Amino acid sequence: MKAVVVLVATSIVTTPAVAQRWQRQVEERAQRAVQAIEPAKPLNVVKRSGMLNLNESVSFETTLRQGQRYAIVAVCDDDCSRLELTLLTPSRSEIAKEANSESLPTLHFTPSTTMSYGIRVVMGGCRWNPCWYAVAVVPLGENPL
Amino acid sequence: MAPVKPWVAVGLTACFVLALAYLPPRGAKSSGKSIFVGQSPQGTPARQHAQALAEEWRNADAALRLLEDRQGMKEDAFRISPTIIFRGATPPPNAVRNVETVMDSVWRGLGLGETKVGVTLVIELQRPSGSADSPTPLQDRVAYLTPDSTDRTTCIASLPAGPYWTSFLLGKRDTRYFGGFAQWLQAGLGPCAFYAAYGTPGRRAGSWLAARNWDLGLYLGAPGIAGERSSSLALMGDPRFSWFWDAVYSFPPATVACLAGRRSGCRAAVLAGAADEGTIPVPNVILVERRWWRVQLLLPGERYLGDVARTVGRNRFLDFWTSEQPVDTALAAALKRPVGEWTADWERGFVRPIRLGPTPPLGAAAIALAIAVLVLIVVAGAASRREVR
Repeated sequence: MKAVVVLVATSIVTTPAVAQRWQRQVEERAQRAVQAIEPAKPLNVVKRSGMLNLNESVSFETTLRQGQRYAIVAVCDDDCSRLELTLLTPSRSEIAKEANSESLPTLHFTPSTTMSYGIRVVMGGCRWNPCWYAVAVVPLGENPL
Repeated sequence: MAPVKPWVAVGLTACFVLALAYLPPRGAKSSGKSIFVGQSPQGTPARQHAQALAEEWRNADAALRLLEDRQGMKEDAFRISPTIIFRGATPPPNAVRNVETVMDSVWRGLGLGETKVGVTLVIELQRPSGSADSPTPLQDRVAYLTPDSTDRTTCIASLPAGPYWTSFLLGKRDTRYFGGFAQWLQAGLGPCAFYAAYGTPGRRAGSWLAARNWDLGLYLGAPGIAGERSSSLALMGDPRFSWFWDAVYSFPPATVACLAGRRSGCRAAVLAGAADEGTIPVPNVILVERRWWRVQLLLPGERYLGDVARTVGRNRFLDFWTSEQPVDTALAAALKRPVGEWTADWERGFVRPIRLGPTPPLGAAAIALAIAVLVLIVVAGAASRREVR
């Protein structure tokens, strides 16, 4: 695994003015993606954003509730050509992975147990480092079954 | 025995003439102590140890101050070109505005606008020496704190102003006598200009440049540092200066081979450090040597990457900059030519290829040829009169 986990990228604490354009870009894209997935303005959307150099990755954890359907979507800026999204168990085993949809990977998942899951983002293609990304975990409602 | 004597005389005469031709009769005069290869007198081990410790302290101090600058930095949300901070003294407000205006035009001149990696330029105005119980802080070395050392989007350049530019900035001297301020500021951006223009380099290019202390990427501008006047080319590559050959002899073999137009030498000089898969330290502080032009592997290496970028265009340069392929492959792909071939042509644009190998003086060569002809005539004459009894 060539990717380097970059912890500092998980939150934008001191983003300089020069970088705000790309940050705004991914936040707007994430907002549009969330609206496209769930037009009813869902509550409790978990959002994370940051920046990664080519082939770097970042992971964060979020609690997903049993029986609740979720869509996990990631977006990135104009210089990014490929983004990978992986859902992990607490023991870091892969549950689902989306690596084929270039810059808008989306996962759908309904947990069988309420617990903390890992979400890993890999910057698979970035022409001008660093590339900004944003991830949104969107609750879609209870599973009818 | 009698027939042998003329041949001995001829042989001795030939040796004498040869010696006269090739050995200066009064011995060669020393050209004086070379400023490039001369060694300073060795200090005692204790003194050397103290100097090494002081150097280590200065480097650590430079890194610490850059990190402190980053922490205490307040960025101007409306400013696209580098944020400028003065340290050591406070220049008058109009001087600050002037510096910002000059920097804005330098930034535009480099073709830069809004960039992913921003630059902060810390101008260190000259201050009195430190107290006697600690080494003098670095006041004459340019230092850079690359992105990823503190956050991902800021490159900090620390630029010592020295007495000349300090006087200028503090308004102590008539500004009519100060030229080249814009070039000085532009040169001070160093590797930060590359970070701003092309972002953080990929793993391969990053570790290659770190291994050679960014000597190929010290200057992004087109006309050369200080408008050619003070570039490494003017200092080391001008045959009109008496120290030119001293400088040539101080270079590594690959650099000399490249100066002679040899492609293999150019390739070796460019790719030095490319095979190292070294890790880039965090924080990554680039400290430029005081006399950086003396430790270059290519002449004028400081502008090499800038020239590559201008030649191949932004897209192809970005392909190289972030490539996961070996530097040799990625650079050749961007140049669309072998690295050695392109670099040899580039080098020829600055320095007329020097001649390598022995080059006897014209007079000595003529004398040697004359002797050879004389010997042949004597041998031929002797052979024609030879009698077999």
